[in-house]
Amino acid sequence: MVQAVKRIVIVGGGTAGWLTAGVIAAKHRGRMGAGFSVTLVESPNTPIIGVGEGTWPTLRSTLARIGVSETELFRQCEAAFKQGARFTGWTTGAADDFYYHPLMLPQSFGQLNLVPHWLARDDGRSFCDAVSPQGRLCDDGLAPKTIATAEFEAVANYSYHLDAGKFAPFLQRHCCEKLGVRHVLADVRRVNLAENGDLRSLDTVQAGEIEGDLFVDCTGFKALLIGETLGVPFKECGDVLFCDRALAVQVPYANDAAPIASQTNSIAQSSGWIWDIGLPARRGVGHVYSSRHISDDEAERELRAYIGPAAAGLSARKIPIRSGHRETFWKRNCVAVGLAAGFLEPLEASAIVLIELSAKLIAEQMPVCREVMDLIAARFNATTHYRWGRIIDFLKLHYVLTKRTDSAFWRDNLLPETIPDRLNDLLLLWSHQSPWFHDEFDRVEEVFPAASYQYVLYGMGFRTQVEPSALDGDAKNAERALRENVIQTERLRAGLPRHRDLIRKIVEHGMQAV
Amino acid sequence: MPTIELLDPRAHGHLRLRAAAAEVPHFVQIVAAEFASAAACCPILFTKENVTGAFFAGAIFGFKPGENLLGSVEERSGFNPLILQREGFFISEQNIAIDREHARFSETEGEPLFDGAQQPGEGLRAIQRTLGNIHQGLEQTKAFIAALLELKLIESIDIALTFEDGERVTLQGLYTVSLDRLRDLDDAAALRLFRAGHLQLAYTMVGSLKQMPRLARLRNQRARCS
Repeated sequence: MVQAVKRIVIVGGGTAGWLTAGVIAAKHRGRMGAGFSVTLVESPNTPIIGVGEGTWPTLRSTLARIGVSETELFRQCEAAFKQGARFTGWTTGAADDFYYHPLMLPQSFGQLNLVPHWLARDDGRSFCDAVSPQGRLCDDGLAPKTIATAEFEAVANYSYHLDAGKFAPFLQRHCCEKLGVRHVLADVRRVNLAENGDLRSLDTVQAGEIEGDLFVDCTGFKALLIGETLGVPFKECGDVLFCDRALAVQVPYANDAAPIASQTNSIAQSSGWIWDIGLPARRGVGHVYSSRHISDDEAERELRAYIGPAAAGLSARKIPIRSGHRETFWKRNCVAVGLAAGFLEPLEASAIVLIELSAKLIAEQMPVCREVMDLIAARFNATTHYRWGRIIDFLKLHYVLTKRTDSAFWRDNLLPETIPDRLNDLLLLWSHQSPWFHDEFDRVEEVFPAASYQYVLYGMGFRTQVEPSALDGDAKNAERALRENVIQTERLRAGLPRHRDLIRKIVEHGMQAV
Repeated sequence: MPTIELLDPRAHGHLRLRAAAAEVPHFVQIVAAEFASAAACCPILFTKENVTGAFFAGAIFGFKPGENLLGSVEERSGFNPLILQREGFFISEQNIAIDREHARFSETEGEPLFDGAQQPGEGLRAIQRTLGNIHQGLEQTKAFIAALLELKLIESIDIALTFEDGERVTLQGLYTVSLDRLRDLDDAAALRLFRAGHLQLAYTMVGSLKQMPRLARLRNQRARCS
């Protein structure tokens, strides 16, 4: 007789726990009557870390699939629109040094790679502005849609900035009220193993014993199940990504009409970088830095200097960062999601997107019985390993393209032994041919598409050799796409509302579902 | 610039009312009670208000601003949208307001707004009834739209037309009732919709789409004659 997998027990109630609960419950709603259950066990005493105020556009489809209302997301989670990231000072550190990594794909991306055409023109236009309107939309402080655009639909591609402390309770309400997730507020006292070494149940202080067939570890850095119980080691990657500390503050606006940035601002510092994220009621600002290169005090001084007079009287919260991930993500009948699986500096908002991708993979590949679980686990591990590797490569890319030599932090980032082999190979490849649609990035649901690599590479002044004669075949189409971008840019700039105005309207009137 | 003033017999006793302009916009907001007569001559669709994003219903008279393919009220079998009849007049709370600058108001032409005893004249009384109908009609339409939204029955519709003269028109931001989803309704929901009078409105809207090819034909004819 096979051992059915029907009782899913998620431990931990942060963003990871509730997103995973929502994605699994929504996918398996039809089985709920037939003994399938999703239980989330959450300590009433553990505070939520609430990292990751930035998200990826995948969150729109994830939330739509779970069935929440986007209007309510704005009303309850202090959400704002994010159209990309603006990197200041990463390449040379000079006053005019910035580039955008927008969320819209370059024009005609599916048909045509504009990179060589843009390079051949060499007309002084930034890559982003040549191929996408979104940098200009961000400069103008515009929203990516209008009040007449349906929920989760975009005029310009977008994701969200949100208050993670409000996002988890928002998901919780929906999961419990609409999706039939059982919420147990209890402290786990002990994890009980079965004879074969699987997890069998949790002993809780307040709710007795809770049995499960599959356990999802969303206990954050503690990694109660995957780490403490099953002993899966943590694989550090501090030798590649140096930042190991963050200082975070919340900065109020000068007044309630102040513009809200619709991009994440990432401003390079002497030994790390500062994030600056606009929510409707406040900005979240933080300094991520390498403690090997700068002292906490000096890092705080840089943070306060960036914020200016508004920093007076604000106290900074110190957050330790341990860059890396588990050696195995799914072991036996336990799978880790969120911080329990790993963490990287929030340079490209990869935390929540990884939660979504993991939750989706678990929900879609949900093993029917224990007998096939190890096969699914092996697949899950292969895919998830690949994803962490690609994210680490992509984050490192931001550092290896720098021309800064003004501090040890930037110089050390160029040391060959700190650069993953695969990234080195890619850089060699890219010096002769630019990344695009089909080559390299052939995996289903690549975390960062080839377009992201294009924006970072050419935003930071990377140059790929172009053979002019190879362009001829596509020259007309490229011409058309670049012209279309100019027209689209002007049309969107004229037609989109100001970011704060749209959020105010959404809160007041709501968006339509269609 | 419109100058909106609350209607007052003392301030506006000298004003006269001219007929509403013959100009018809290519898309006119209508209310539920007008659906049946509108459907007899033009397509009825939903679109969204600019300011709030809320849905409202409208009748299509032409494919682009300034184009009225349906001619005069007589040519439209008498269909004359309420919203056009009350041109120049508004409701402000419980009162009637007017746009003093609107071409309907004159000091020399048309019939007097008020009679000698400062009572509303014939024309103004008709406007009062129209405003009442609009007010009530908007409420009914809102309830209809809310019922459709609740049952997820509204879907967007893209209309792309190529005319004989080569001109292409794409109408965007339009919505109608989804027949597929209407068919999928459970009995209880269908009955509720029927009892509220909403089912008939829904089918009237869908049926009115048959006017779209007729409108396109009129557009082609007009191009041929000009």
